[in-house]
Amino acid sequence: MARLALLFQIAVRNLFASKMNLIIGFIMLAGTALVIVGGALFDSLNDSMSRSVIGSVAGHLQIYSSQSKDELSLFGDFGGQESDLEPITDFPAVKAQLEELPHVRMVVPMGMGTAMVTSGNIIDLTLADLRGKLRQQAEGKGSPTLAAEVDSMKSHVREMARLIRQDMIAARVISTQSAQQEQGLETIDRVLSDAFWADFDRAPLEGMEFLENKLAQLLTDGDWLVLRYTGTDLDAFKKAFDRMELVEGTMPPRGQRGLLIPKFYYEELFKVKVARRLDLLKEAVEVNQKLLAEDPDLQRRVKELPVLTRDIMMQLDPLKQRTLVTQLQQALGSEEKDAEKLLKQLLTVNDQNLMERHRLFYELVAPKVELYRLRVGDTVSLQSASGGSGYMSSTNVKLWGTFQFQGLEKSPLAGVTSLIDLVSFQDLYGYLTPEKRAEIQALQKETGAQQVAREDAEAALFGGGAALVAEGESANIDEAAELGTQERAAPRTTYTEEDISGSVVLNAAVMLDDSRFLADSQRSLQGLIEEKGLQLKVMNWQQAAGFLGQLTLVAKMVLYVAVFIIFVVAIVIINNAMMMATMQRVREIGTLRAIGSRKGFILSMILVETAVLGAAFGALGALLGAGIMRWLGQSGIPASNEQLYFFFSGPRLFPALGVGNVIAGLTVVLVVSAISTLYPAYLATRVSPVNAMQAAEE
Amino acid sequence: MAPIVAIENVVKEYHLGKIVVPALRGVTLNVEQGEFISIAGPSGSGKTTLLNLIGCVDTATSGQVSVAGQNTMGLNDRALTDLRLNTLGFIFQSFNLVGVLSVFQNVEFPLLLQRKLNKTERAKRVNEVLEQVGLATHTKHRPSELSGGQRQRVAIARALVTQPKIVLADEPTANLDSVTGQQIIDLMRDLNARQGTTFIFSTHDAKVMSHANAVIRIADGKILDRVTPQEAARAAAGIH
Repeated sequence: MARLALLFQIAVRNLFASKMNLIIGFIMLAGTALVIVGGALFDSLNDSMSRSVIGSVAGHLQIYSSQSKDELSLFGDFGGQESDLEPITDFPAVKAQLEELPHVRMVVPMGMGTAMVTSGNIIDLTLADLRGKLRQQAEGKGSPTLAAEVDSMKSHVREMARLIRQDMIAARVISTQSAQQEQGLETIDRVLSDAFWADFDRAPLEGMEFLENKLAQLLTDGDWLVLRYTGTDLDAFKKAFDRMELVEGTMPPRGQRGLLIPKFYYEELFKVKVARRLDLLKEAVEVNQKLLAEDPDLQRRVKELPVLTRDIMMQLDPLKQRTLVTQLQQALGSEEKDAEKLLKQLLTVNDQNLMERHRLFYELVAPKVELYRLRVGDTVSLQSASGGSGYMSSTNVKLWGTFQFQGLEKSPLAGVTSLIDLVSFQDLYGYLTPEKRAEIQALQKETGAQQVAREDAEAALFGGGAALVAEGESANIDEAAELGTQERAAPRTTYTEEDISGSVVLNAAVMLDDSRFLADSQRSLQGLIEEKGLQLKVMNWQQAAGFLGQLTLVAKMVLYVAVFIIFVVAIVIINNAMMMATMQRVREIGTLRAIGSRKGFILSMILVETAVLGAAFGALGALLGAGIMRWLGQSGIPASNEQLYFFFSGPRLFPALGVGNVIAGLTVVLVVSAISTLYPAYLATRVSPVNAMQAAEE
Repeated sequence: MAPIVAIENVVKEYHLGKIVVPALRGVTLNVEQGEFISIAGPSGSGKTTLLNLIGCVDTATSGQVSVAGQNTMGLNDRALTDLRLNTLGFIFQSFNLVGVLSVFQNVEFPLLLQRKLNKTERAKRVNEVLEQVGLATHTKHRPSELSGGQRQRVAIARALVTQPKIVLADEPTANLDSVTGQQIIDLMRDLNARQGTTFIFSTHDAKVMSHANAVIRIADGKILDRVTPQEAARAAAGIH
């Protein structure tokens, strides 16, 4: 005991006896602080990301059919491909059983898919507007104002035609002319001729037909956009994911088809580009404190801004143009009379005028145009090739509003999927209800269609010496007779609770009342599946997040590898420093050996010294680490880009320090000290007592 | 009575790469219990090597070394260490105290290694020895707070605290001024006279030699003769 006390005393007093110890101590201090801060940051990040994933789509656990070809991956795989899942058999029964389990708060049915949706075409919007006004006139609601508006819109259409013509002429320079283009030019020339408009005034509806069918298709600004959607019980979803909030519009009423688009996605894809760009520039300067002049990426966007005026010009009829010219002349102090040139002036921004220009844009330009190519209240046509039937399915569904998740407003990942009602989802999925299946079978029977295997298809079609089946003959098809006999039911826009509960469900989110029970609940759910022989698989949010979940694993690996490398380096440095320290103490060690210390005593002395050194500087490092974490916890780490919003689960990450992090930090530093001191300690035991004498002779 | 140190025909060679450097070339020497012996000779003559062999901190290449009746040639490191701890005391030219320990702790150190006495007994013994060397009032000082002479007294106390049979001192006064050196030798002489502890010390200072019972003169790794201090002084004067 007394010897150990003495060893400790020697160790403590030796702490500051040598500079070498201070160097070693500093490495230990920095190492501990690093492990603690790194570990705590990572844990906090993992924690906040779990909140993001759990709170935005995954729930705590996910179930899906064990018959599925793929594993469930909520965010798609690396290639963005949806996982191929089989529908869950008898979901209502499954749901009821799951909700019996302890800690299960809710089970939300889901099904994911990808649809194509058109972003809308400006000329379509204008023509629809014009048609509406013409109809008003036809209904006898004409007035001088309405007449002026119609005239203005007519000039607007002419202006659009002129702009399209410009584009087509420009396109001719870089590509060879096609018959189609020639036809297009003819159409435009007709629209630009006075004769066309004279005819238009006589028979407006015929004129409209020409414009809608021939002119509108020439404007190719309507993109096909990919929309990821989650079909779900929308009310249940809103209740389960309580961070979800509507930004615009309302929730689709119960029993009605409806689409909700994430606000971020809506802004990004459906907002007029120039407005979106302006917003982003403002945000970069205002929120992220960047300078336009210094950031090359922002510079590029600034340069592109005036080029994007066409989107706006397309939407301005002469009336609006005139007003805008007057307003902009005044606001910009310019005498320019051309609206487009004035717009370009307005959109020439720099650090000094950005805020002012942004305000002017929204005050003067925005009210005159449609800022979004798809408006809340519009009905969109979703087309999907994914799903059970393998056929292309489509459905029309009304956009009821936009939504976001609190704290994840800026995250594209949280806004990765739109929400639609389950019945529309079922349509898109192409689920064959028993009735549909019967209908197809009846059709097959009627037409004599046969199932032919792929490898036999060629032989069946072209092979064999079979006699000619039929001779082709030309005949006029009487469309009315053909189609008139088949009454097609109009797609239903409403549905019942039975439709919801009976709908096809591919996966379901299981919400718990507390995240702490996640592992327990996963086990009990697995138990239930095995006990009842349910054809289900269960995953936690991390597994269900697919590559995103793996991302945290990768990040963890990177952290561990980094810590490992740092500590290998630390071990080498500490080891070297310890060796030097031991060499400096050869006479002391020799003396101790000479006066009767055994090798074991020397070994313990060095080990205890390192342990004390490690403990002392490790504790200081822990204090430093805790201090840094406290500071970070209070000030927060800003999410500098949109991806980080998701990982931080908000605009700032407020990391917290756990006891586990401190213990890990201290353990690591002690282990590293122990490893790095083994060889020097061994060397110390090899010091001969003769060294005490030899040094004395020097 | 058998001699406390018996050395017979001892050869010690050092290997510097391929070169063999002879340090002792067949030395035979007996030291009786209670003697106060000086080993004298020029630098490189083999004084320290001889002390190392007697002190069991080094082993001979050939020959026999017996300390307190034990033949050291067959002993392993642990046995040699225990022999040093229990039978021998060391006084070094540069004092070799543990800088981070107090005077008391430095002296107590060998007792802690021995594990024979309890705390009270240790304190009593340490205080006695410090009293003998005249440092009873300096127990809490660190070595760095003491003069050279005081430090060497601490070293003497440390060497004596285990009540060894033999105390070895390698040039104990070399780092001290002549007055202090004289005091240290007087102290050693006094302890030798009162307690009968055998002292073997190396020196090339004639004044220091003059206190010895006998002077072993050594040169080129061989013992020249065993003479009285007076003879040694005369010879030294003759040489110079």
